Amino acid sequence: MTGVAQYAALSRRAILNTFRQPTAIVPALMFPLLFLAMSSAAFERSIALLGFPQVDSFLQFVIAATIVQGALFGAVAAGADMATDIEGGFFERLIASPVARSSILAGRVMGAATLGFFQALLYFGITIVFGLDVAGGVAAMFLVALTAGVLAAGIGSITVAFALRTGSTEAVQGSFPLVFVILFISSAFFPRELMGGWFKGAATLNPISHMIEGLRFLVIEGLSASKFLTAFGISAAVLVVGLALAGGALSGRLGSRA
Amino acid sequence: MRHVCGNTVSPALVADPEPLAASAETRKKEGFLSRGRPIEPVVVENLVRRFGAVEAVRGIDLHVSAGEIFGFLGPNGAGKSTTVRMLTTLLKPTSGRALVTGHDVVGAPDAVRRSIGVALQDAAIDPLMTGRELLRLQAVLHGIDKHEGRRRAGDLLEKVGLTAAADRRVGTYSGGMRRRLDLALSLVHEPQVLFLDEPTTGLDPTSRVALWDEVRKLNRESGTTVFLTTQYMEEADHLTGRIAIIDEGRIVAEGAPAELKSRVGEPALRVALAPGVDRLAAEATLLTFGEPVPDAPDHVAVRLPGGAAQVGAVARALDEAGIEVAGLELRTPSLDDVFLLATGHRLEGAESSAVLEEADAER
Repeated sequence: MTGVAQYAALSRRAILNTFRQPTAIVPALMFPLLFLAMSSAAFERSIALLGFPQVDSFLQFVIAATIVQGALFGAVAAGADMATDIEGGFFERLIASPVARSSILAGRVMGAATLGFFQALLYFGITIVFGLDVAGGVAAMFLVALTAGVLAAGIGSITVAFALRTGSTEAVQGSFPLVFVILFISSAFFPRELMGGWFKGAATLNPISHMIEGLRFLVIEGLSASKFLTAFGISAAVLVVGLALAGGALSGRLGSRA
Repeated sequence: MRHVCGNTVSPALVADPEPLAASAETRKKEGFLSRGRPIEPVVVENLVRRFGAVEAVRGIDLHVSAGEIFGFLGPNGAGKSTTVRMLTTLLKPTSGRALVTGHDVVGAPDAVRRSIGVALQDAAIDPLMTGRELLRLQAVLHGIDKHEGRRRAGDLLEKVGLTAAADRRVGTYSGGMRRRLDLALSLVHEPQVLFLDEPTTGLDPTSRVALWDEVRKLNRESGTTVFLTTQYMEEADHLTGRIAIIDEGRIVAEGAPAELKSRVGEPALRVALAPGVDRLAAEATLLTFGEPVPDAPDHVAVRLPGGAAQVGAVARALDEAGIEVAGLELRTPSLDDVFLLATGHRLEGAESSAVLEEADAER
């Protein structure tokens, strides 16, 4: 029970920290929504293009990408907060206590996952007010939010690993543009069917494309076990890789004291 | 003079460096052993820490007794913080051995962590959390249940005078408040040994003295052993019962502050002569009390073996000889003098004791 309480307490701290830093919460929460508002207005007529998925609105097409974007941005904040703990000395306070080393990672990762999950539900709530129709209903929204949470945990683990390796908030924040690149070289904001050349090849190779397309299906078409499992599987794979990297980075940081 | 660990040290300043491996009989007699385990909260034997080619700690031995406030005094870069980081399991020793509350810092780090409280330099406290939240978090990290954690958080906030600020974010706290909170955080699990690494560096004199009071109170009321590093000789002098002085990674002197100072030499009386006073006459009077000490032309100084008890007699003798004085100053040896004698140089960062003494006296 002690271990669970420690995970919960460190997760709670991670979430509180995010909400108490306007500079962290604004990019994670607001930018995807602003981008959603702009792209919905600008590309509304693109849904009439031949080859564009059958959707009610561009909003219905892009909401899955917005949720993934929010999860990715929030995950960068997890790494930045870990780096801040290292720079400020709080990390040493943690390791000077008998807390399980895994809790230090799990607290941050669970914090990112929780934010990613509830952020997705929040985005659904806001966009439903503006006319979004989710074909898969409440179950689809839950599954999309769950996948977003796992993805946030996975990307959060990678940024936490980066923080543990560098110990620098600036270095972690410097990875922010990379998240943009990963997202833009995917089918997040435009269907692969309408892409061409090297960009289509790159988007096809990008696992984020397949994850978003799986989530998009739940929104546009309805529930599908295979589509959900594809999306969730990619998120889970990112999490496994991320945790391995973060675990290695934590061992490296603790080992550097030997 | 003899050499200790390569440094030239006055033999008078070196406490008998009883090795850790002293006979069991000897140590039992002195209360060091209980059922075969050391009961001293901190026992260090030939501890070494290297960073590449740099040897930050060069084979130190230490023994800290239960319930004492032990001071670890030295200038910046002397090896104080490196030693504390090894004793608190944050850094592995290159060689040597350290037992804290009977547990090996390398072999049983978790057992050490459960039994110690640590307040490192710069009060590493999350500025986004409130004091109460941090105390509760610290309680959870030490495996204390929620209800008990709440109770202890409330008690400690009261104890360090932060109840009114308990629900404010730490980012709004002053330096002194942060240090007091840091102290409370290190006490939440009721540790047997409290490590304070330069707890008052950067604090104003009043906040510094307030923190001294907290540490004294804690030591007096709960019997917690305190291991304190400092670069301020006044802090070591006023707060600790026994000190070790470290310089360039080696311990150059160890003992009670008063004992160390007494080994430096006798107090000196410094007489400031009034304008126009015959210096030779003043010297003749003063030399009947002790050996001369070189001083400025308008001052005459002599060793005064009797210290303060003799000052009255000196004043009367000067008065009877018709020698007008502008002032009398009795200078007792300071820890800086101890440090100077042990190392050949002054302690960096030593600051005016007058300010701190004044602040201490005001309380």
